[in-house]
Amino acid sequence: MKGMLKLLKGELRRFVLYKILPVSLVTSLIWIVLFLFISAEEALELLPLLVFVDVSMMSIILIGASYHLERQEGVIKSMMIMPVSMGQILCSKIIASMVLAVESAVITSLALLIIHGVVVNYALLLLAVIVAGAAHAAIGFFFALYSRDFPMMLALLMAYMLPMAMLPVLQELKIIDINEWILFASPSQSGLIVLSSAISEVEAGEALAAFAYLMVLTLVLFKYAVYPKFKRTSVRG
Amino acid sequence: MAYAFSVKNLCYKYRKSNEDVIRSVCFDVNEGEIFGLLGPSGAGKTTIQKILIKLLDDYRGKVSYFGNDLKAVGKSLYEEIGVGFEMPVHFTKMTALENMKYFAGFYKKTADIQELMEKVGLWEYRNYKAGEYSKGMKVRLNFVRAILNNPRMLFLDEVTNGLDPKNARIIKDIISDFRDRGGTVFLTTHLMNDVEQLCDRIAFCVQGKLGEISTPRDLKIKHGKRELNVEYRENGSTAQSVFPMQDIGANKEFLSLLNTKEIETIHSGETTMEDIFIKVTGVEVK
Repeated sequence: MKGMLKLLKGELRRFVLYKILPVSLVTSLIWIVLFLFISAEEALELLPLLVFVDVSMMSIILIGASYHLERQEGVIKSMMIMPVSMGQILCSKIIASMVLAVESAVITSLALLIIHGVVVNYALLLLAVIVAGAAHAAIGFFFALYSRDFPMMLALLMAYMLPMAMLPVLQELKIIDINEWILFASPSQSGLIVLSSAISEVEAGEALAAFAYLMVLTLVLFKYAVYPKFKRTSVRG
Repeated sequence: MAYAFSVKNLCYKYRKSNEDVIRSVCFDVNEGEIFGLLGPSGAGKTTIQKILIKLLDDYRGKVSYFGNDLKAVGKSLYEEIGVGFEMPVHFTKMTALENMKYFAGFYKKTADIQELMEKVGLWEYRNYKAGEYSKGMKVRLNFVRAILNNPRMLFLDEVTNGLDPKNARIIKDIISDFRDRGGTVFLTTHLMNDVEQLCDRIAFCVQGKLGEISTPRDLKIKHGKRELNVEYRENGSTAQSVFPMQDIGANKEFLSLLNTKEIETIHSGETTMEDIFIKVTGVEVK
């Protein structure tokens, strides 16, 4: 546990050093400014999308970028010969990426409260950010581990985004109309559902199914794809 | 004397390869010695090192670490060993000192970072970012990283590659000192100079197999050519003659050459480690 906390502290410190945290804060500030110019209803409708972007896309890009940078630097190999487990190394990276998502969710939801006086279910929002964040961290690792370098990872992400992320977003914005159960298989759609469940009215069954789906997806991805591949690629250096 | 490592019938196959890359390898590393594993790139020496440091665990055969089955030794192994990689292993945007403090934070006991960095001449550059270091400085920082936890055993991969002679000497002195204080070193290299100056025993690794295991001195005696090479001026150009070292003082042809020709160079024809390597393995060292 002590080793895990040290790893997490190191990850967060590097977020500051690599200017990731400041950029995230600036992004949140942009959302706050946006809230000043729109109505409470519009802000409420927009909030799940804004949090979703941080939880999903930003999380995937962040994990991919840091993984490829650290692999290039050789530090992952160096971590593998420290008295910490590989599970702890992975967990620290996932939690660190979720810290950013939580930070963004907290700032934007508080801005909504202060600017428009709108209260959301904060506990459920936190849970949704964690569950959706973990799933997208797993997806981020999957792309990072199965790509040679960061540009290739971005290409994979683009290929994923088109069907998986853009369709739910377009559906949310009511630009397209696709059967919801087809979209449900998309982690992005499920992510949007769990985030929306904390902010607006979502059917309980649908929200529960989305939570369950994301948790199962996270476990399956980590156990069968991320963990074994992480070990192999890290050892190879 | 105890064995730091005892390796019996070690075999290893990578997932995507059709055959074993390590084939029935057997050797022991004595506690308190510098054991050199020599071989060309792709010979399997890095794979053997990865097995010994538990980065690869799906091997066949038996590996014991100070009498304990390596597979049963947990993460505590990393409290006792230090690993020096050939390539840099640092956070490039953190300073050298920040890097060392970060890694040191994970170990129960650590060496004095300042003392180590001073020894390798990096203390005055401690606040430079690791990414700004030259290749040689990165190699030295790698070495500091390896001995940061006061290890009982050191694994070093091409430890002086990229260093100038002065800094290579400093690192080699620290390694010798570590051995003299009872530490054990497993050195993988293709630099024969390091082998001759550091190793107590060496093993040759070629295509996943180990050839002869012996001391550098014994190998030189066994494979040595006791001869003298003489270069001299003759008819306006350089000519060369080779004489056996045995009874050289009574060799009339040699003595006549010394008396009648303009000698340019005289070298004893001692066999180099590289010659021995080629002889033992049939593979040229690159």
